[in-house]
Amino acid sequence: MAGGKSLGSKMKIKLKRTGGFIPITKVAETEVNISDKELASLLVMIQPDPEAPRIKDGNYYELTTGTSSSPVDLEKVPDKYKALFSKLKSDLKIIK
Amino acid sequence: MLTKLMESGNKKIADLAINTNFRSFRFRSDRIFFQQSSLHERTVLGLIAKQTGKETMQMEVYDCKQKTDYINATLLWDSKTNQKITSVAGKNVIKGGMASWDFYWQLFGRNSIDNKGMLIKQYVHYDKGMDNAYWDGRRMVYGDGDGSVFTSFTSDIDVIGHELTHGVTENEANLDYENQAGALNESFSDIFGIMIKQRFNNHDVKKSNWLIGEKVLIGPKYALRSMKAPGTAYVNHPELGTDPQPATMDKYQNLPDNQSGDFGGVHINSGIPNFAFYVAAFNIGGYAWEKAGRIWYAVLTDPKLAQNANFADVKNLTIVHAEKLFGVSSPEVIAVKQGWQEAKV
Repeated sequence: MAGGKSLGSKMKIKLKRTGGFIPITKVAETEVNISDKELASLLVMIQPDPEAPRIKDGNYYELTTGTSSSPVDLEKVPDKYKALFSKLKSDLKIIK
Repeated sequence: MLTKLMESGNKKIADLAINTNFRSFRFRSDRIFFQQSSLHERTVLGLIAKQTGKETMQMEVYDCKQKTDYINATLLWDSKTNQKITSVAGKNVIKGGMASWDFYWQLFGRNSIDNKGMLIKQYVHYDKGMDNAYWDGRRMVYGDGDGSVFTSFTSDIDVIGHELTHGVTENEANLDYENQAGALNESFSDIFGIMIKQRFNNHDVKKSNWLIGEKVLIGPKYALRSMKAPGTAYVNHPELGTDPQPATMDKYQNLPDNQSGDFGGVHINSGIPNFAFYVAAFNIGGYAWEKAGRIWYAVLTDPKLAQNANFADVKNLTIVHAEKLFGVSSPEVIAVKQGWQEAKV
């Protein structure tokens, strides 16, 4: 997903939230120490079930690293990354 | 015998026979019509509405304690024990859930979300400051709001009615949640949500302000949506900007059918069928749920309403059902046509 990063280097990630009762977009960014391999593995673990029915008025999340974005299901975040995503969620700000 | 009497020289006897023959004809044709009509048709004609049966609402309310875990949520209230609670959000969803169940039961004889007495499950205080409410296919879920832009999403009965109606729609036409079908899905939820609030407050079409979520969005000038004037629910809001909903088809927004595009603008283009309903209901007058509501409910529960229906399909069905319920050239049919005309559909 994010090419060229070596193990332990800092990487900027952006969480975007869309959807909801009124469709507003919120974003939060942070820098993390995570390798490409670890990130790729995380994205596989938290990818949404493509067969899952759409939640009416639900919020949807997308993770961006570099120029690449992937939809993510925050309910699937492993314990190791829960604090990171919890912080990102609490930092989400509305963008007009 | 009756034919002979109708031709009787005695005018009184002949008149009586003609009258009897006419009544008898009406009775026979009514009986044939109702024998041949479907359960859906009998329901929309009000024959099984205003139930006198003993069905009662089944509801449970859970407190998520600001976590995102349904399994460990604690039971706050249930309709079996009807215990007293102090949680404001809990009280709000009990009130809204009861008003919604009562609306569907008393007016349409519909027993809960699935018309089979489904247990209504509502979860409050979900997540930390979640500024949203949703229906996930099994339950209604409400956040407390962030406290600065939004307050609790349980604050408005129309929002609760909106979410419950998503469940009703899922059990009826199950409209796709994308593009025009998705906008209709949203619109049915707004339409029934506003009528549930209007009925709860005893507001007719003139007294209602036709605003959805007027308490949820903080500030006296703001609401989440306006059915009377889509695009004006919030204007120049410091955080949200201006309400993006169009009121007419020429302003339809072709957005991408993905997460970022609100799946083709389901919450945006719903302003168009919302506006059509508002104009129709307003022009009919009185209480929206008495006539316009019956027409739109007949459409929502009509097996002919396809999962991928578009605005024109619903327009045509509302006209068909208005004609069936109120007569081909009735003021109600004219009002429905005016509604769609004003929305430029």
